[in-house]
This record gives sequence, structure tokens and C-alpha cells, in this order.
Amino acid sequence: MSTVFGKVVKLILLERFGPVVEQVGSYLFQYGTNPLLYIMKYTELPLSKIKESLCILIKYNLVTFVTNKNENLANYTLKPDRILLMLRYPKYNNLIKKKFGDESEMIIEEVLQRGYWTASELILKVIERLKKNEQATSVSLVKDKFKSLVVAKYLVRMPYPKDDKPVPDLQIQDNELYIFPDIDNKILAQINAGAESMDKIPDKGIYWTINFDRFHQDMRDKIIVTAFTKKIDDNAGKFVELLLRQMYIRTMPWADSSNPVPILEIKDIIRKQETHKQLLAFFDQYVNVIEQDNSNLIRKAGEASGGSFQIFMKEAFIQFAWETIEQIVLEKYDSKAARIFRLVKSKKHIEPDQIQKLAMIPAKEAKRLSYLLLEENFLQIQELKKSNTNNGPNKTFTLFHINLEQVVRMTLEHCYKTLFNIMTRKNHEKEINKRIIVKKQRVDTIAMDMREKGAEEGQISDIEEMITPPEREILERIDITLKKLNTVELEVDETIFLLQIYLMYQ
Amino acid sequence: MFTTRFLYGVQEQPSLQHLFAKTRAGWQSLLLLVKNQLLCRLSKNYLTTLSHVFLFSTFKNLLKGMSEETKPSVSSPNEEALLDLAKSQPEGFNNDDIKQNLPNVPITEVTGIINKYLKNGTLEVFKMKNSLFYKYKDPLKKSDVKGADSEEKVVYKIIEESGNKGIWIRDIRFKSNLNTTQLNKVLKSLETKKFIKAVKSVAASKKKVYMCYDLEPDSSVTGGAWYQDQDFESEFVDVLSQQCHRFLAQKWEDASKQGGGPLLIRNRSYATATDVHKFISELGISKVTLSIDDIESILYTVVLDNNAERIVAANGSNLYKIVNRFLPSLGIVKTTCGICPIANRCASTGSVNPKSCTYLTDWINY
Repeated sequence: MSTVFGKVVKLILLERFGPVVEQVGSYLFQYGTNPLLYIMKYTELPLSKIKESLCILIKYNLVTFVTNKNENLANYTLKPDRILLMLRYPKYNNLIKKKFGDESEMIIEEVLQRGYWTASELILKVIERLKKNEQATSVSLVKDKFKSLVVAKYLVRMPYPKDDKPVPDLQIQDNELYIFPDIDNKILAQINAGAESMDKIPDKGIYWTINFDRFHQDMRDKIIVTAFTKKIDDNAGKFVELLLRQMYIRTMPWADSSNPVPILEIKDIIRKQETHKQLLAFFDQYVNVIEQDNSNLIRKAGEASGGSFQIFMKEAFIQFAWETIEQIVLEKYDSKAARIFRLVKSKKHIEPDQIQKLAMIPAKEAKRLSYLLLEENFLQIQELKKSNTNNGPNKTFTLFHINLEQVVRMTLEHCYKTLFNIMTRKNHEKEINKRIIVKKQRVDTIAMDMREKGAEEGQISDIEEMITPPEREILERIDITLKKLNTVELEVDETIFLLQIYLMYQ
Repeated sequence: MFTTRFLYGVQEQPSLQHLFAKTRAGWQSLLLLVKNQLLCRLSKNYLTTLSHVFLFSTFKNLLKGMSEETKPSVSSPNEEALLDLAKSQPEGFNNDDIKQNLPNVPITEVTGIINKYLKNGTLEVFKMKNSLFYKYKDPLKKSDVKGADSEEKVVYKIIEESGNKGIWIRDIRFKSNLNTTQLNKVLKSLETKKFIKAVKSVAASKKKVYMCYDLEPDSSVTGGAWYQDQDFESEFVDVLSQQCHRFLAQKWEDASKQGGGPLLIRNRSYATATDVHKFISELGISKVTLSIDDIESILYTVVLDNNAERIVAANGSNLYKIVNRFLPSLGIVKTTCGICPIANRCASTGSVNPKSCTYLTDWINY
């Protein structure tokens, strides 16, 4: 938990929940777990506001609480990692949209926006929204979509209090997590038609929330599949995709390596799908090529049932982390430095003399680059002293090496800083152009208002022309800038995700 | 010795070629010299540096030593036989070996010959496992002794030991215990007599190393094909590395055009260093001739740049193939902050801050 990370968390809270929540959140970030009165004392906010903020944070599962020794009090803890995930929301939506379609995306979107909700209310809300978009829909269709999201474990049931205590102890049994409650379509339809009141929903008190782990699992798999697609080709990517899918039947999703998967199963699936003819025709060859690839991520486990294969997740992410760092070195210090970095990586420990010899870089340049990398903490140095030489100068060996985990953590910090910078800049851009943005908003609302009242086109265009052409130009530019910054924010988050997965596997 | 005398008579600095081509007798002496291994040195110089002009003084020193040894060796067949035996046993030989190899020679004559050789330094004697051993001493190595004082001998010996790697002046000083001025004088005199030479090392441009005059400096001193006058030719290496990469890429492209399944494509895109060497030589971009090993080391840089992979073939040679990376371009390197050189100094306040960062501004307006 570094300062930069804290700053990012602060900015996210500020952006999404406003200054009061941000203050409470920052306090909890800085001082860790604390009871309510302490928060009040240090933030000097009115109690009601703090309570409200904590409510909001708890609702979105950004703060957890446990009982104090005195069972009437609760200690609150911030979940900063969870807050960072808020940046990833568009990605979650997108993922579901691609996999399950619009209705499912809306369900996920609603849950993300509210933190948690009952199934019935969600379904009704989605139907309402779909109606607005003039899309045909029915209760049973949305319900089925909801069900499939639960079955696929994208949604998970919230824990609930068992007995009545001042500080509730939220619990849930493992077998309850993914059981969808019985909901009568008729009642929902009646409520939807306005014949019944909202109180009549059958699944009161059963709340659903997002299972982020499941999303991350999908994102992780996608990284692996795209990696193989990029390294070999589409067919190999497809093969790995199927291998991963078959893996889940036998293996815990976050295991370091999968249990052996029989190759014939995959072949059968390909035969049924008929989309990858090339892959089917050269199936054995592809298996051979993938297995013998120097990355060595997919290995043969045994000859039984036509050969079975294992995929090594942990190693995959170690290699991806290496490649990430290598790319950063490459972009930051150019190809020669990257060459030195990779050389040190492959040799584990290496003397400076050897670096220039093997990397074929002039002595001076090699020295400069390797010490530059040392200065920037990409390389580490190990000195070996020969102490028992009596005469002559004491000989010291200098060995370069890399501590990957440390470099990854450093890079992660750097990513947070980048996020912070981008977000600060974004706010700054908004701030300096506040006047125009506000004006634009005002004009837009007036114009919309008039349109609803049925004003003439001429009147509306008069209002719209209140924004002068130069102002329009500025607005366009701001728009582009913000879009650019938003895209990059998402992309940086991808790198963060990759590195976090690596650290998780360690 | 005709040649010897002939050389003595010549007061100018004769070229070697000129010298031996002049007289028929010269060629004959040449053959004799072969037996004494003197020609090895001469002929080496003769063959490699035809136009090389020997300084007269060098010759004088050299042949002085030679004439003393060669005379007895031709005068008696027994002596020659003993010398042959000595040469064939670089680890040394004892009296039993002599008895075995020269059974017809009376022991008194053997003693006489050995004494003579020991006297002029062709053989040296030492004790091993309680018996006397004799060892052949290369007259070449001895030749420096002539006309040199004891300090020069010591210094020469140190330099000689260092072989073709050469030795740094400071190390000579440590080993010889001579002071700097004296050592400089000795080195200068040895240098003018062409016993030793100073070679600039590539490891450190100001560091000079000394080695025997006739030795070809080791590649660690000259740097091999990649160095020209102590300068590493990084452009040359870069170009070669690019070409190697291009060759491998071409190979892969050809293979995938041919088709025939992924395995075949992969196997066809492997190239050995010999293939690449041929390609590079045909391109004619290199003015120096490159060895296979040079190409191997160039290919290794391509591997280090993550553009190729190296595997070991069944016959032990290396195979190279172009490879793709796993990851597409990363998000972090697309931002200015990801590659910012002063990221460590950046903070929300102060002169380097995200609000007024010029890098960010340029990137946004791009």
C-alpha cells in the first residue's frame, strides 16, 4: 500500500462519490481499521455524514466491518484493491456483452451501479430499460439470462446476517452461493404491469452481487489465448482456448497448473464446431508445435487416452511478466538496454565484461546502460569479495542479476503513478474548461426542455447557437482529450491486471 | 653456416624473400635450419609477411644463437638423433629413454653430447622421482638471452609467460620488482630489438599490453572482427544483426508460403549459422571475413533482442528460428508516463507535475 496507490484510490472515490466519502475513505486508507468515533475525531466531519459515507462504501462493498471487542461497535476496514476495480467496470460490461448479449450486460451494469440487488428488482429494472430502448423482451427471457449468469458464477449471492446483533455478522454457506431462488414469472409480470406493489417480490432479502474473481478468470484466459494467437497463430490460440475450457472440468480455476486434459476431447470439440478446419486437419502437428514451443507452457503429461496435456498458468504469467518488463525497458531505454536486460535474465548472474562481449555492445555503452538499469532498479548488483589475498589489490567481482518480483512491484507502482497522473490531468482539463463545459450543459438542457415542450426548430437552433464556433472547437478538443485519457486509463489498467495476476500466483 | 655468414656480411636490412632467393646455398641452409626449428619462425614470417623487413640487429641476435647450436647438430648423426629424441619428448626424458632409443651409441659419447647441450642451453636438466631428466629447450626462447642483460631476461621471461594475451606494465612491475624508470628502459630496449611489442587492448583504450614480437594477439586483446583500431564497430554489428534477422524472417516467410502444416513450416524456418554465414558473405556487406563463430555471436544478439529462438539440433549445432512475442504492445508503454525519464521526480506539486507536464500536453495534442 503505497502513497501513490492511496492517491489513486482517493481520486477514484472523489470522482465517483464526492468529497465527503473521499475524506472518510482516505482516512481509512491511511490509518487502517478504525471504529466510527475515531473516524469522526480525525476527519472532523459531522457524524451523520460519516455514517452516510460508510453506508455508501459498505453498500458497494468497498468497506467491510467486524465487531469490536465491545460487540456493540464495529471496526471498519477499507478495501483499496476493490476500489481500483471500479476503473475496470467498462471492461466487465464489455466482456458480458460479448459473451451473453445486451440483456445480460444490462443486468451486470445495474448490479455494478448499485452494489447489490434482488433478482426480481433487477429483472424488472432491465425490462423497463429495454422497453425504453424499444426492444422486445419478456420476463422469462431476462430471468433466464439472469439464471445463466448465476450458473456461470458471474453473479454471486451476498452473505446475510443469521441472527440479530448490533453489529451483524454476515455469513453464507458455500452451497448457497450459486443457487437461484424460485421466482414466479406471473408475479413479476403482474408487478411489471402495475397490478401488484413492489413489496410482493418473492425473493426479498436475497441479494446478488458481482463475482469479480470469475471476471478475472475470463480476463486471464483471454490474455493467455491472445498470447498464443500472437506467438503462433489463430489455430493455436483456438487450441489453447479449448484446452482452458476443458481444464475447468478438472481443475480449480486458480491452480498453478491444470490437471492433465486428454487431447482427444479437444479434438472432438473441434470436429463438432467445424470452424477451424485447418486446426483439425493439422491437429497433431499443432499439438506438437505448441508442446515444443520454447516457452514450455503446455506440456505433455502422459500417453493415456491419446496423450494428455497440462497448462502451466503460473509459469505463463511469470513469462508474461518478464515480457512486460522487457517491453518497458525497451521503450524506455531502447533496444540495447533491453538486450542487456534479457542477457542478464538468461544468465542469472553475469559479470560486466561478459555483458559487453555477449551483447555485442561497445564497452563504454554497455557499462553506461547496465549502470543506468541498475540506477533505475531494473538490475541488481551482487559483489563478491575475495578477502584472503594478502598482497596486491583486493579483487572484487561484480555480478548483475534481476529480482523479478521486486521489478514487477516497482513497475506496478509506476502504473499506479501513471493512473494518478492521467486522472489528475483529466480533472485538470475539466477544471480549466469548466465554464464552457457548464455552459454547454446548460444549453443542452434548455434545448432538450424546449424540444419536449414542442418549440419550433428555429427557436431551438437559436439557443444552440449561443455556443460560439470557437467555443465549439474547444469543446471538441476537450472531448477528444478526455476520450484519449479515458482509453489510456483502461489500457494502463490492463498492464496492472497482468502484473497483479503474476503477483497473485507468487 | 653459409646463411649465417651471408647474413653477417650484409650490412643493410635485407628482406627475407630477397635473402633466400639470392643464393642456392641459401636454400640449402634453409633446410638445415628447418631441423633446428628456426625456420618455423622464419618461414612463418616469411609466409605471412612477405614484404616484412627484418632489422639487421634482430637477425644478428637470432643467428648468433642459432649458429652455435646448428653447428654441432649437423656435425654428428648421434647428436642429431639425441636432439630428435629430445624434441619428441616435451615432458622430458631420462637415461633409460636414451638407452632405448639410441642403443648403438656408447654411453661416454652420450654423456659428452648431453654435456655439450647443457652447456649451450639446448637441454636443461632436472630431477624428478629421484632420477635425472633432460628436457629440450626451444632455442628460439633462448635467443633473447643473447645481447641482453639480466633485467631484460627477467622481463622478457615474464612477458613470454603471458602468451598472446599480453601483460600489462603494472603487472610486469609487480612480478619483476623493478622500479618504473628502470622497467621503462628495459621495455624500450626490448622493443627496439623487436623481441616484444606493445599492443593496445580494446578492453581499455589507454592500457597497453606487451607480448612477444612474433605472436598474433589474442582476440580478447584485439576484440576480433568487431574492432577496428580499438573501436568497437557497433554500426557494423547492428547492420549484421538486422540482416540476420531479415534472413530468418525471409526463411520463415518462404516456409509458410510453401505450406504443408505448422510442423513443416516450423522445421523449414530453422536456419544454421552456416546458412546465415553464406547469406551474409553473398551480400558482401562485410569487408572483413567473418567466421562461423562470429555469425553465431551475431545471431545470439538477435536471440537476445527476442526476435529469434535458439535450439540445439541433434548433431549439436545451434538452430535459429524467428519467433513472435507473447504480448501485444502494452498499455503502460503507450502513455508518456510509462516511458517518462523523470517519472521519479514527478509529484502532484512541484515543477514536475501532471497538470503542466509538457510530455503529456504534447501527447494529448498529437
